[in-house]
Amino acid sequence: MGQRNGILSAEYKVEGGKLLKCTLNVDSNVISSIKITGDFFMYPEEKIESLEQMLAGVKMDEESVREKMNDFFKTDVQVVGADAEDFVKLIMRTLSL
Amino acid sequence: MEEWRLLLTGAKDAFTNMAIDEAVLRSVVKGESKNTVRFFQWVPSTVSIGYFQGIDQEVDFLVCKNKGVDVVRRITGGGAVFHDYNGEITYSVAVNESHPKIPKNIIDSYHVLCGGLINGFKLLGLNAEFKPINDIVVNSKKISGSAHTRRFGGVLQHGTILYDVNINLMFSLLKVSDEKIRDKMIKSVEERVTSIKKEKGNADKKNVVDAMIKGFESALNIKLVEGKLSREEIEIAEELKVNKYGTKEWNFKR
Repeated sequence: MGQRNGILSAEYKVEGGKLLKCTLNVDSNVISSIKITGDFFMYPEEKIESLEQMLAGVKMDEESVREKMNDFFKTDVQVVGADAEDFVKLIMRTLSL
Repeated sequence: MEEWRLLLTGAKDAFTNMAIDEAVLRSVVKGESKNTVRFFQWVPSTVSIGYFQGIDQEVDFLVCKNKGVDVVRRITGGGAVFHDYNGEITYSVAVNESHPKIPKNIIDSYHVLCGGLINGFKLLGLNAEFKPINDIVVNSKKISGSAHTRRFGGVLQHGTILYDVNINLMFSLLKVSDEKIRDKMIKSVEERVTSIKKEKGNADKKNVVDAMIKGFESALNIKLVEGKLSREEIEIAEELKVNKYGTKEWNFKR
């Protein structure tokens, strides 16, 4: 897989769960910014912004994204309608579109 | 029997409605107001979007403007809802998180609070069932959806009760980029969404609310006593409307 640059987006419907969407900016294979949207539930809600900040600067490969996602899910946050792996799938799906 | 407050605030604009929900939650948590069940409507009709949704991804502003429909972001997650003045009643519950009836687990809490609506639908002669995560179905079709948040030490759950649904109007307001997908979606939504009128042939707004009041009373083993917003709640709501729910910063934040 070559260097990725530019704006990528994807949607991912969790089976029996919610619809996740993301748009991200990739610069030399590194996420420079990301916006995650959808009809899921996260408590407290403002944590979504922490997640987006945590993901900025992360290498755009599955293991790096998964590691960061697992770190986030270990913080004091509850997500209903999607789990850490669903968010990893969502982000990695941007590469297949 | 434990007394909770019943609020019947009638039809108000989107920004006031969302501000009242938050003002009531703040007041309940501080112990200044009793735990509260509220029923209300929206005028003008409104699309509310979930906290995490991208407003541009969900809403067709041009159609909303043409139809005179407002758009507001909720404090709660979940999906976009069309609050049609001619076919929808919204409920909200504000209760202390430490209340013995409220489970710690969020999906369990949906089930408990949706129990009020399920009992209400049953009183209307409909065989309603809870469908996790946050829906109520009749004959496998959605008739109600709810959204839940926990903050300030309290629980706020609000949701929609469809008594007469205009699916074509609903889906003209919500954004679906591809027209073909739009057609397919309307068909599948018609198969997936229903209303009290569709199921029963008629629906009187007042009967629906009366049934839901009784439904909450029996589900939570409480007595609902009609009350009013306090002066403080009205003031906080006014402030939240001006500085939060009515602002571009809030509604366009995602």
